[in-house]
Amino acid sequence: MDYMYPSVFLAYFMFFVLTLLTLVWLIMSRKQGFWGKNSEEPKYRMMRDDDEGNYNG
Amino acid sequence: MPEDTSRVQASPSISAGGAAVVHEDTTAKWFLISSIAYFFIVGIIAVTIAAKFVWPQLLGTVQYLTYGRLRPLHVNGMLFGWLLAADMGLAFYLIPRLCGVKLWSEKLGVATAALWNVIVLGAVVMLLMGYNQGLEYAELPTWEDVLVVIAWIMFGLNIFMTIASRKYDQMYVSIWYIMGTILWTAFVYLTGNFAVLFATGVNQANLNWMYVHNAVGLIFTPIGLALAYYYIPKASNSPLHSHKLSMIGFWSLAFVYVWTGAHHMLHGPISQWLQTISIAFSVMLLIPVWAVVYNFFATMQGQWHQLRENVPLKFLMSGVVFYLLTCFQGPMHSLRTVNAIVSKTDWIPGHAHMAVLGAFSFFAIAGTYYTVPRMFKCKLFSDTLANWSFWFLMVGGLGFFVTLWLGGFWQGWQWNNVSIPFIDTVKALQPVWLVRFFSGILMFTGIVSFAYNILATIVGAKDNPEAA
Repeated sequence: MDYMYPSVFLAYFMFFVLTLLTLVWLIMSRKQGFWGKNSEEPKYRMMRDDDEGNYNG
Repeated sequence: MPEDTSRVQASPSISAGGAAVVHEDTTAKWFLISSIAYFFIVGIIAVTIAAKFVWPQLLGTVQYLTYGRLRPLHVNGMLFGWLLAADMGLAFYLIPRLCGVKLWSEKLGVATAALWNVIVLGAVVMLLMGYNQGLEYAELPTWEDVLVVIAWIMFGLNIFMTIASRKYDQMYVSIWYIMGTILWTAFVYLTGNFAVLFATGVNQANLNWMYVHNAVGLIFTPIGLALAYYYIPKASNSPLHSHKLSMIGFWSLAFVYVWTGAHHMLHGPISQWLQTISIAFSVMLLIPVWAVVYNFFATMQGQWHQLRENVPLKFLMSGVVFYLLTCFQGPMHSLRTVNAIVSKTDWIPGHAHMAVLGAFSFFAIAGTYYTVPRMFKCKLFSDTLANWSFWFLMVGGLGFFVTLWLGGFWQGWQWNNVSIPFIDTVKALQPVWLVRFFSGILMFTGIVSFAYNILATIVGAKDNPEAA
């Protein structure tokens, strides 16, 4: 039994799934506001998230 | 180190809200300490094999210490023992902070760290014993591969559950990159270590190179950039230039990278259309790379003076420059004419070391220098030693990269001239390998300085508490 081509096709199928998931995520990220007017919010918040005394907030 | 707070204060104020969260960081500590130990140990192996190029009789014919046994140990040890373990440790540190919650399970995290150490120590024994699958970057025996998959599932579960319980809807770009790393690694690792076993000949080689290139591009690149996106704003105390641009960089990387592996087989017996696709996607890599690098440079606008004193920032911004250079080299190598000269020569290890050491290890070292004093609530053992470690690694690294590029290009020209006997091309490279050995000594000195500084910081944490 030659498993060569099934394994190659499996690899390409996995990368196809990966591309599909990427597209799904991309659409989700748009719906969640990552491309809107609040898209810069996380970069300011991350500056205040931790450190001195291990505090958030 | 001086910190300019003006830019943060000028930024819009976003209230995080909620109660204080105390992070245990036990998992991050275990991963970081063990990774630094492997960095030191595998550094010895690296210098040894560099010496073997210059003095081939070194260590005689002891089978466990031959080049064929030590080289895969060096590659796997640096990739999985040092770099990926350090990256995972730093991910365990920054993800809970970016999500505003505690890590989902410290117990699961510590178990992951323990299993990772079993894998790395097992790899040392197996590779020295000569158990090697003969596939680049996939040398480990299958039972070790199964353990890696289990450990990765444990890591991914912990990170994703932490993200799922996050306090904020919108995720900072580092979280995206770490989620991408976890998913992409699953696909890339399964392809490179399992699917490849059922293929033969050209198809096997093609799958193997797809794995090798994506091990760098879809494992070490995204998690390395996650660290850079976190630590550059933190270390410089300046918010990222553009979060939207960082998203463009992320998604373009996700679309482009996976198709580039076949450029390792240009002029080989694979289809021309596959070679051309890999070339086209390799050149398109310039898009995510420029999006990332421009963002980092723009973040540093007005802050470059901090590089005089701020050691983590020195490592970070040097890493960004190396990242830019290595990602410019990559697309250029994939052009058929350039590839005909540099492929399979010493140029390639020069290029690969600039990516893995110059860019991604520099990010991890910077993250460690920034994180360890904060995790252990103490001062760094020695700022001076940290500065020395930077310069040892920088000068040694540059010596290594540049020498191998020049030597590799020269080697490629010789190989393209059929009138030159192959053995003459080997002899001609001896001066290059001598410089590489001494550059390796410098880099190893940098590793020792870094490892000693961090371990001395941890050991002396109680005696050297951070000023309130």
